[in-house]
Amino acid sequence: MASFASTAATAVPGGCVAGARRGGRCVFRASAAMAVAAPSRNHYEVLGVEAGASRGEIKAAYRRLAREVHPDAGGGAAGDEDFLRLHAAYATLADPDERARYDRTMAGPAAMLRRAPASFRRRTWETDQCW
Amino acid sequence: MSEQVNIVASDSETTGEDKSQLSFPDVAIGIDIGTSNCSVAVWTGHQVELLENTRNQNGMRSYVMFKDDTLSAGVTRGATREHGHEERDILSGSAIFNMKRLIGRMDTDEVVQASKGLPFLVQTLGIGVRPFIAALVNNVWRSTTPEEVLAIFLLELKAFVEMHLKHPVRNAVLTIPVAFSRFQQTRIERACAMVGLHVLRLMPEPTAVALLYAQQQQQLLHDNMGSGMEKIALIFNMGAGYCDAAVADTAGGVSQIRALSGRTVGGEDILQNVMRHLLPYFDSLYVDQTMDRIKSTGLLRMATQDAIHKLSSQQHVEINVDLGDGHKVSKILGRGEFETVNHAIFEKCERIIKQCLADAKLGPDDINDVILVGGCSRIPKIRSVVLGLCKKKDSYGGMDPLEAAVLGAALEGAIASGVTDPSGCLDLLTIQATPMNLGIRADGGNFVAIIPRNTAVPARRDMLLTTMHDNQTEVLIVVYEGEGNQAEENHLLGYFKITGIPAAGKGAVEINVCMDIDAANVLRVFAGVIKPQGQAVPPFVEVRMPTMDDGHGWCGQALAKMYGTTLDLAVLPKKLHP
Repeated sequence: MASFASTAATAVPGGCVAGARRGGRCVFRASAAMAVAAPSRNHYEVLGVEAGASRGEIKAAYRRLAREVHPDAGGGAAGDEDFLRLHAAYATLADPDERARYDRTMAGPAAMLRRAPASFRRRTWETDQCW
Repeated sequence: MSEQVNIVASDSETTGEDKSQLSFPDVAIGIDIGTSNCSVAVWTGHQVELLENTRNQNGMRSYVMFKDDTLSAGVTRGATREHGHEERDILSGSAIFNMKRLIGRMDTDEVVQASKGLPFLVQTLGIGVRPFIAALVNNVWRSTTPEEVLAIFLLELKAFVEMHLKHPVRNAVLTIPVAFSRFQQTRIERACAMVGLHVLRLMPEPTAVALLYAQQQQQLLHDNMGSGMEKIALIFNMGAGYCDAAVADTAGGVSQIRALSGRTVGGEDILQNVMRHLLPYFDSLYVDQTMDRIKSTGLLRMATQDAIHKLSSQQHVEINVDLGDGHKVSKILGRGEFETVNHAIFEKCERIIKQCLADAKLGPDDINDVILVGGCSRIPKIRSVVLGLCKKKDSYGGMDPLEAAVLGAALEGAIASGVTDPSGCLDLLTIQATPMNLGIRADGGNFVAIIPRNTAVPARRDMLLTTMHDNQTEVLIVVYEGEGNQAEENHLLGYFKITGIPAAGKGAVEINVCMDIDAANVLRVFAGVIKPQGQAVPPFVEVRMPTMDDGHGWCGQALAKMYGTTLDLAVLPKKLHP
């Protein structure tokens, strides 16, 4: 699970560098810089969808959650962190290639179980015009 | 002048304290300052409403007239006289306009160079400082700056809105072109601060239109007429100064900006092209800027403007204008000829749309609605170019092309002020995207993007870098914004040094540079050494960008001259499994 940050072509909050925002100001935590904090939830859990979720379901979940955690939509308490995590999850799962790569990096028996049904639909994601 | 601004600013501040907190919610107004026209709108409690000055139907002209000791902007003055007479006054040299094209630009900028044909003084020395602009007052050029002109205009606009709403106004959402650099954005903010307006958001114009579109789609859903399905809109906005495009993905009141692109090209360029076409020696006409010449260029400008407007509805237009001094223009201009003369501009528009579609990874068939807004969207050729590229027969008809952006800004103003509407009318969200790559200078003079364009905002990205030389104890982080591969081709935003790096062989230390954009679009750069670790390593540096003040054109060159490559950085290849 700790290998998520290595897929971080997209920013994974709490990854290489942590610039935590507190009360509108950025507080820098250099000590956490190299500590690749293992995210407590994987991308599917962040979006609250099943591992085999369709692209439409992922998009709908992203929109619904964005309205809760985006700083403009009243998600101000946690600053930008929640939205950054949500968007990173969405950006990875909405792109078929990224999603396939992400699924492969999810090692462990739990991930294997999740992946089984997913392989069914993956073909349709790839033929889907995705972005 | 500046004194006048200060007095008014403090005045409104004090009256604001007394009443505002008690009697009305502090709802931000939406302002669309165009290169040629300006409009303002506000949330009235159940909808957004455009504020109009009584007689001036086409919005307010964006200009400031300098006369003796009085200054007046286009907000109210435009309504008091006949349009033609007013236009002649504006072009007499005493008025400054097009400030949106001039603001925050250096005198080496080609847009500033092209502004020398305007009937007021634009003096450039070509050394990368703010151009000198001046208005003619009693036959003397009186100097001013684009920020100052904009502030005078905003002051009058603010007074007009306050008179209309009968309460003080303190917050505003302004629309800006996609092509605006972050430095230009700070100039707009400064002008607003000068008149006591706090900027809640600077919204790229097409994204304001996207917000209005999202609201209309929600409304349809409420009225049981919409399907609630995801809709993808291409928004094309072309005004007098700038041209932008955006692809927005809308469903459930959430509008996600998937791509943005824009350039400094607009009606002003079309106008200048046609003027040069009508009068080939136009450029030699304005160089000396005597009173006669200013008058002549003014007359030609008026006649050309009029002809271009007419060509939107008719195939041919007759131009007959006596410029005085023996200069005369007498010509019949056809639509075909007009389109040939402006061929390069239409091509630029095409490129903007193609880039926007490519960035959004979409084809014409994916687009549900094409929204055409801005003054130039009336030009038949522009319409056919945009609709042709999107393979559509007609554009979205649900909004007024001149009001869409300002209404969207007013919606955002209400949302950002925390207004909630029981009917769910304000239950909207725009997920913005960055219009340009943000990055630093590394690997020699290269520009390395850390946050690529069209990244969702808020955004945070980082990159690992290292030193270029053995025992290099300092590195210079130079932050740029733009699309060029070479650092120097982009807009310089700022720079800072990281010092006290432990001495080591080149490539041995690891330096992390992280860029962060928050929801209010504030950019911060964090940088520091992450390897080796320990007490000997200096603390990280956090810098809010841009740090540049005026006269930033020569900074990049000065840095290069002073330090050469001694403080350079190199990108570390991404490690697969750290």
